[in-house]
Amino acid sequence: MTELPWLYAGLTAYALATVVSLVGVGRLSAVTTGPALQSIDEGSRNNERLVLALMTAGVILLVITLADRWLRIGHGPFVNLFELLISQLFSLGLVYTVAYWRIPVLRTTAVVVLPLMWVLGIWVLALEPSDSVFPPTYHNPWLWAHVGFGKFFLAFSLIGTGLAGVILLRSRQYFQNLFRHLPDDAILDRLAWRFMLLALVFDSLMLIAGGVWAQDAWGRYWAWDALETSSFLNWLLLGASIHARTTYKVPIRVGAMLIISVFVFAFITYFGTPFYSEAAHKGVI
Amino acid sequence: MRSPAVTGILRRLASTKLTLLWMLLLAIGAALSYDNPADTSIWVLVVPMLLLAINLIAAIISNPRINRRGGLLVFHLGLLSIVVLAAIGRLSHMEGRVEIITGNAFSTQALSDVRSGPLHRGALDEVSFVQGPYTVEYRANMMRGLTHSYVAIPDGQGEWREAVVGDDRPLVLEGFRFYTTFNKGFAPILSWIGDNGQPIETGAVHMPSYPLFDFKQSNSWTPQGGEEIKFWLQLETGLTAEEAWVLDGRQASGTLVVNVGGKRTELLPGQSVRMPGGTLRYERLTTWMGYKLFYDPTLQWMFLTAFMTVAGLGAHFWRKLATEPLGLDKVQRNTSNNRPVQDSAPASRSVVV
Repeated sequence: MTELPWLYAGLTAYALATVVSLVGVGRLSAVTTGPALQSIDEGSRNNERLVLALMTAGVILLVITLADRWLRIGHGPFVNLFELLISQLFSLGLVYTVAYWRIPVLRTTAVVVLPLMWVLGIWVLALEPSDSVFPPTYHNPWLWAHVGFGKFFLAFSLIGTGLAGVILLRSRQYFQNLFRHLPDDAILDRLAWRFMLLALVFDSLMLIAGGVWAQDAWGRYWAWDALETSSFLNWLLLGASIHARTTYKVPIRVGAMLIISVFVFAFITYFGTPFYSEAAHKGVI
Repeated sequence: MRSPAVTGILRRLASTKLTLLWMLLLAIGAALSYDNPADTSIWVLVVPMLLLAINLIAAIISNPRINRRGGLLVFHLGLLSIVVLAAIGRLSHMEGRVEIITGNAFSTQALSDVRSGPLHRGALDEVSFVQGPYTVEYRANMMRGLTHSYVAIPDGQGEWREAVVGDDRPLVLEGFRFYTTFNKGFAPILSWIGDNGQPIETGAVHMPSYPLFDFKQSNSWTPQGGEEIKFWLQLETGLTAEEAWVLDGRQASGTLVVNVGGKRTELLPGQSVRMPGGTLRYERLTTWMGYKLFYDPTLQWMFLTAFMTVAGLGAHFWRKLATEPLGLDKVQRNTSNNRPVQDSAPASRSVVV
């Protein structure tokens, strides 16, 4: 398992980024105004640069992990939970790192997003790093499209969840200070829902590409198997949430809970299916 | 101009509260349909979809927020079309299974497990191809790899073209899609020469799927005017479970063990045996391939419509994000300096996320 040292290094980089981001937000909350603000400002900028550097390092190390494993076993990370989790850690990290870099207001959400990614990180460490066998029906370009769109869907849901998490956290007295430098909830809410709109587009594309692949691979585009049923319910939940928000004045905190519920549902769809279904997709091999 | 009564009805039918309610019903229907349980009616999906379709049509007609926004209109029309196409697809679809002996032509007579919609009008009789040899790769420990099934298809001008079918590459003829399956095996070709002068009867006995049932390659057959004959096929295919291996009928040989009334005889290809009522000749060993058959004339339209639906949604969001201010540009400048932001007034410039 030559890829394991790279995996551990990548996860360490993510862990350090988590710690540094928590420290950074903690420092920001300590001072409101006055002469100390200047030094806090400088320190926070350094923290953000460090978090960005660590996350970038984590993404690069996970790319090496995946490439090393790919060369060793001869196929991409599409089959067992161990490689799927590494692949998700890479793609979620990549999309979030780019967003973190390009949209400064998102940076504080690292204290919500990175611990969530660490759920995957701890999980992958608990798994047996076994090799997998590539099923013959996976030699199909639509698999790439299906998985790729799915990764963007989950990543945009994660960013929306980061913002929703901040909105909910700072509604509690205990956390108010941590996030008081951020714009008000209405702006975070609008930004979060924009990511959920993008998530809906990519979720829809994922379902379409999956249907084309399933038709070629198993002779049916839809069969209500475990993953299909769960992902359709997830799409409905996301669609209904967006519909409700655009039609009615959904309170911001309720909206934030809707966003988190969409992400939780997606998480269960992606990673929980093996626990209640023998085969994720019927006729998968 | 619509009358006020019609407008009122349309608005009620187009209610967004109803949309959410029907979506909830559809979610319940979808959850009930998990794994296609036999005791769940198709109506748990059809009813909410019909209700949603009515709701959508009413909204498209009466709601200017939908019908005056190009992208959103395309999205909602697309959703409606997907529901309609799915319904047409189910009504006109056909599926089934067929096993074809190597060297034989596809025949509708060999179809089994056929299911079709009441409006199915496919021209399956016009489908013509001849099964050629096939190979199936296996990794160590019998993990199935790629299947290459060769078929010959008449081009209508007296020539044949060859195609390779396998795994995620179906054979598509006249809209019918033939998929190779794990179900494939061997078949001894036999001739029965009856004692009472009836014509020679030649046919194949399909042995169970191989290598799945390599331990019980047996079957039976009762010839006209004869007794039931039990067959057992002893195969030499080079199969070793621990190593990679390729299943190739051309490289295989088999001894046929024939049992009639307790009398056991071993036959090699070309050998015969006398038995009550006639003579059985083991002509040669060949293979058969099992295909899954699928027909749905809406497939391409479904793909195009789904793609257009998402394109409409994407275009709508793009326009929305580009024209509606988020109020973030001013905030971003402050946030990048980590200064506390008290002012949350929307900025005048638009921000694209």
